[in-house]
Amino acid sequence: MGRSEFRIAGAGGQGVVTAGRILAEAAILSGSEAIHSQVYGPQSRGGASRSDVVIATEQIGYPLAEQIDLLVALSGEACSRYHPELMEHGRLVADSRCAPTSLGVRDHQFPIVDTARSISGGHLVSGVVALGVLQALTGAVEADALDRAVADRVPSRHLDMNLKALRAGARLVTGGVG
Amino acid sequence: MSGAKLVQGNEACVRGALAAGCNFYAGYPITPSSEIAEIMVRRLPDAGGVFIQMEDEIASLATVIGASLAGSKAMTATSGPGFSLMQEHIGFATMAEVPCVIVDVMRGGPSTGLPTSPSQGDIMQARWGTHGDHPAIVLAPSSVGEVFDLTVKAFNLAERFRTPVILIYDEIIGHTRESVVLPDRVDIVDRSRPNGNPSTYQPKAPAANGVPPMVAFGDGYRFHVTGLTHNEHGFPTTDPGDTEALITRIHDKVYDHQDEISAVEEFMLDDAEVAIFAYGIVGRSAREAVLRARRAGMKVGLIRPLTLWPFPYAQVADVAAGIDTLLVAEMNLGQLIGEVERAVAGTTEVIGHLRADGEPITPADLIAALPDPAGART
Repeated sequence: MGRSEFRIAGAGGQGVVTAGRILAEAAILSGSEAIHSQVYGPQSRGGASRSDVVIATEQIGYPLAEQIDLLVALSGEACSRYHPELMEHGRLVADSRCAPTSLGVRDHQFPIVDTARSISGGHLVSGVVALGVLQALTGAVEADALDRAVADRVPSRHLDMNLKALRAGARLVTGGVG
Repeated sequence: MSGAKLVQGNEACVRGALAAGCNFYAGYPITPSSEIAEIMVRRLPDAGGVFIQMEDEIASLATVIGASLAGSKAMTATSGPGFSLMQEHIGFATMAEVPCVIVDVMRGGPSTGLPTSPSQGDIMQARWGTHGDHPAIVLAPSSVGEVFDLTVKAFNLAERFRTPVILIYDEIIGHTRESVVLPDRVDIVDRSRPNGNPSTYQPKAPAANGVPPMVAFGDGYRFHVTGLTHNEHGFPTTDPGDTEALITRIHDKVYDHQDEISAVEEFMLDDAEVAIFAYGIVGRSAREAVLRARRAGMKVGLIRPLTLWPFPYAQVADVAAGIDTLLVAEMNLGQLIGEVERAVAGTTEVIGHLRADGEPITPADLIAALPDPAGART
């Protein structure tokens, strides 16, 4: 792996910035270099929000994403805005509520937000469910590093819920029993 | 990389400040600088320092100046709208010669503009935002690691020269998290102190380097502090000789020691026909663009000032003398390009790639902006 770029995009409050940060920290724990950048709007709630994570085996020069390898879109707006920007090699993972204009053979749709709601009662852990999906699809970071990064980042009283969200995300891909 | 941690630019600023000995922070949180205040309020009290959230940015810098006069190493952080409010006190700190560090994390402007988007629109404000003839020291990091290093340097220069130092970077540098190893210890400079009799202390009598030794309120020395033009006793004067001496000295103490202040990165310039001039986050794009252009057979290099003010006229002129074209890239509608043109003085072609739409300048943008006489670009 030379350089891989991941984008998790959704709405403010879905935890996409936290998810990107966890992914970057997991990459570092896995022995890689990583950079996390974020884009969000001026609103404190709602609005579009996104995390970009660049992971590389060597020191990263340009810190921002240019050619996304995997886009996880958690909202219709994120999907319609960023899906067209994907290059030929880029893959889309869209939440089931999104309506992408096209879905290639390597693209997927999963009920990420609904899975988050079933676990937390809200959409707050959507980003962590997305991380479970991302990890199961790509193996971008080591699985135990991802667990550790989640544990380092989320409040301890919410750790069980977040680990459950991570596992549930992975099972959306592998099809295991919930 | 062993021991590397994911650190945000604004966090690196706090860690650099604490490493440099910062023990006082007064500020008013504003996006995209707010993490500096948020992290400082958690860490500074444990480090034995004082954090005060102020009612606005005018009071923030006033309080920082007061704390510094009482012997603290003090800082504040803000973004464009707050930076505007601080201009008056930047002038006061320059005139009264009070060391302090002001961080401006740039967002889109004017006014409240684009609170969460990057910009490099405050470069001229950092130079000329406060009125009157004055020097300015302004440092511009382009990575998380450099935010740490230049925050330390900002404190050291402020102490060394008894003057406010501005650290300026954009929203992307502030919010991006990179894997870095930050040093535990750094070299620290402290303001020079008088060793004479308190009864004969002249608070504005300069040492040989042009910088007056400084005492703290409460040290037992009596001194007067004013923004009015003053003599070596620190008291107001309208005497033309005293006035000229003061104004000249506050300039000379900086410009006579520009070699201690200036830092410029030069990259792949030896055989370059074109050089990109860029700073801050655009410096990162430019470096990547240089590498890609080289792979395409184009002879391109980079000149990146880490010190924006005093502007490195001589280094820019030197670089320009060896090349055909200088491409100036900045996330504003043209601020430092004017200084580049002054430095080059018509001897080399200067072209601009300027962007002020809240989006970063990418390596691809710069490749497309390069002159391509040989048709090397594909």
